[in-house]
Amino acid sequence: MMGHLVYRNLLHRPLRTLIGMTAVAVEVALVVLIVGLTSGLLTETAKRIEGIGADIMLQPPAASIFLGFSGSPMPIKIADKLREMKYVQSVSPALLQFSSSGGVDVLYGIDRDSFRAVSSGFVFLEGRDMQGPDDLLVDDWAAKAKHIKLGDKFRILEHEWNVVGIVEHGKGARLFVPLATLQDLVGARDKASIFLVKCTRPEHTGDVTEQIRHILPGYTIRPLKDFLSLMTSTNIPGLEGFINAMIALAVAIGLLVIFLSMYTTVIERTRDIGVLKSLGADKGFIIRALLAESAMLCCAGIVLGVGLSYGLRAAFLAAFPTLSILITAGWLLKAAAIALVGALFGASYPAWMASRKDPVDALLYD
Amino acid sequence: MQFTDTIQTLPETERIPGPMSLEPILKTENLWKLYHAGKVDVPALRGVNLAVLPGESLAIMGPSGCGKSSLLYLIGGLAQASRGRVLVDGNDLSTMSDAERTKLRRHKIGFVFQRFNLLPTLSAEGNIAIAQHLHGDGFDPHRFDVVTKMLGLEGRLKHKPSELSGGEQQRVAIARAIINEPKILLADEPTGNLDTKNSEIVLAMLRQLNKDMGQTIVMITHNPEAAAYFDRIVHMRDGVIVDGVPTD
Repeated sequence: MMGHLVYRNLLHRPLRTLIGMTAVAVEVALVVLIVGLTSGLLTETAKRIEGIGADIMLQPPAASIFLGFSGSPMPIKIADKLREMKYVQSVSPALLQFSSSGGVDVLYGIDRDSFRAVSSGFVFLEGRDMQGPDDLLVDDWAAKAKHIKLGDKFRILEHEWNVVGIVEHGKGARLFVPLATLQDLVGARDKASIFLVKCTRPEHTGDVTEQIRHILPGYTIRPLKDFLSLMTSTNIPGLEGFINAMIALAVAIGLLVIFLSMYTTVIERTRDIGVLKSLGADKGFIIRALLAESAMLCCAGIVLGVGLSYGLRAAFLAAFPTLSILITAGWLLKAAAIALVGALFGASYPAWMASRKDPVDALLYD
Repeated sequence: MQFTDTIQTLPETERIPGPMSLEPILKTENLWKLYHAGKVDVPALRGVNLAVLPGESLAIMGPSGCGKSSLLYLIGGLAQASRGRVLVDGNDLSTMSDAERTKLRRHKIGFVFQRFNLLPTLSAEGNIAIAQHLHGDGFDPHRFDVVTKMLGLEGRLKHKPSELSGGEQQRVAIARAIINEPKILLADEPTGNLDTKNSEIVLAMLRQLNKDMGQTIVMITHNPEAAAYFDRIVHMRDGVIVDGVPTD
């Protein structure tokens, strides 16, 4: 009977119910998309780094996990020292340059032959490998997002490049240019941001790491098979706080709308509350009825929110193909739980207020 | 339409013959109710003494503001007395907690209001059924059928209050009030929002409930014709009962 009462109450004011549901849906979608966007980008980036095929990445001391911000402080001669080590099959230096003109990009300046040795080479969807100093390789996602075609001229870092190949994504960056050209362009001659090391066998990674640590103490040595596990929000300074702040904001939106909705509901139904009390409804019944109404509204909002999340993800990916939004069942459940707790919390004060109403005052309320 | 067209006589098996006991089912002793207006206490009731026997029907009359409604709310356990005692079927309301009074109301008292006070989101059926649900024994289809048939509501049960006439709404309210067979029915100006024809129907129903089911009925009214349907009339003025006249 209570379920029927709650259901009928929700249908009685369809616009208010719809607004409440929408607020919960926005709350759920915000949580799911913010977390999904963050973890999606991190996971996708990590997979691209892992996808290069190297076993170890060497970075300068105290280098960021965000490779694009590493700069280029390492002399390229380090590559020769690395090549001399036992169990090292090949070494490829790379200069990474962040560019924000016309979109956020990280260019990899690579040495074609050594990069091929480390990574087993690109999979070409169109065109060929770099030969000239101004040649540019673009991965398929970037080509789609930036509408780049084979043979196009593409301007970045105040330099005009020739698009000579479209390659399959997943080899570190989305844009690749010759190492020497990029070094000249950014004033980093004979410098590299990272060294990619391929071991003779993957199980030699530990031995090689120890050797590098011995001759280059303090440098950042990252075994790439662990890179995915490193790319989490907790390892990125400030990111966890940002996500939590965004979740808190989303919860606040949902909570305030539910609070307002249930508060106005209680005021509107003051006389009904008096009637229920005259029929012998105790405080518990009044509280349960209002919390159940809030929970039912919230559940409908959650369903809407899940649909909204997938709809917005599809829209975002259509507009920005290089984005990656990872929607997981775990975070859908967490977002639903957050919304439900928020809705119950938002409804708790109005429910408590309703349960304490004087029945005579409530019956006389106009 | 005569009220007899609408109201159905209860079958013999459903009737509760009411042998009159001499012990009052409702009793007030020196009952006071004060309302606070700023720093001033305004007395609504000033030492009301009233006794109602089981199965009795009582009309309380008096001008507006004389304390009739306050008295009804106090004996219904909806409000707490400032002073004095209210005894309902042997239970002293002044010593009971809010939860205990709520429980007593649920099992022993039914209310009918001037403004019907049906829940607008529920159908007539839902409005009656929720009283059964709150009573705690669940939905009793037999009892439901008997009551709705008795009040002539069979064809109107799926309608919401906004789709019912005033008379129909009040009959639903009466059905809701009696569905759990409370010993006492309290009616606050039940014909105040009805035309003459519907008033007659409702009053006849209340009278018949009193006779067939042995329910004790206390009704507040301004209307002497309405009061005449009942066994006894008391008049109130300035928060006190000024007389008590048996109508028979």
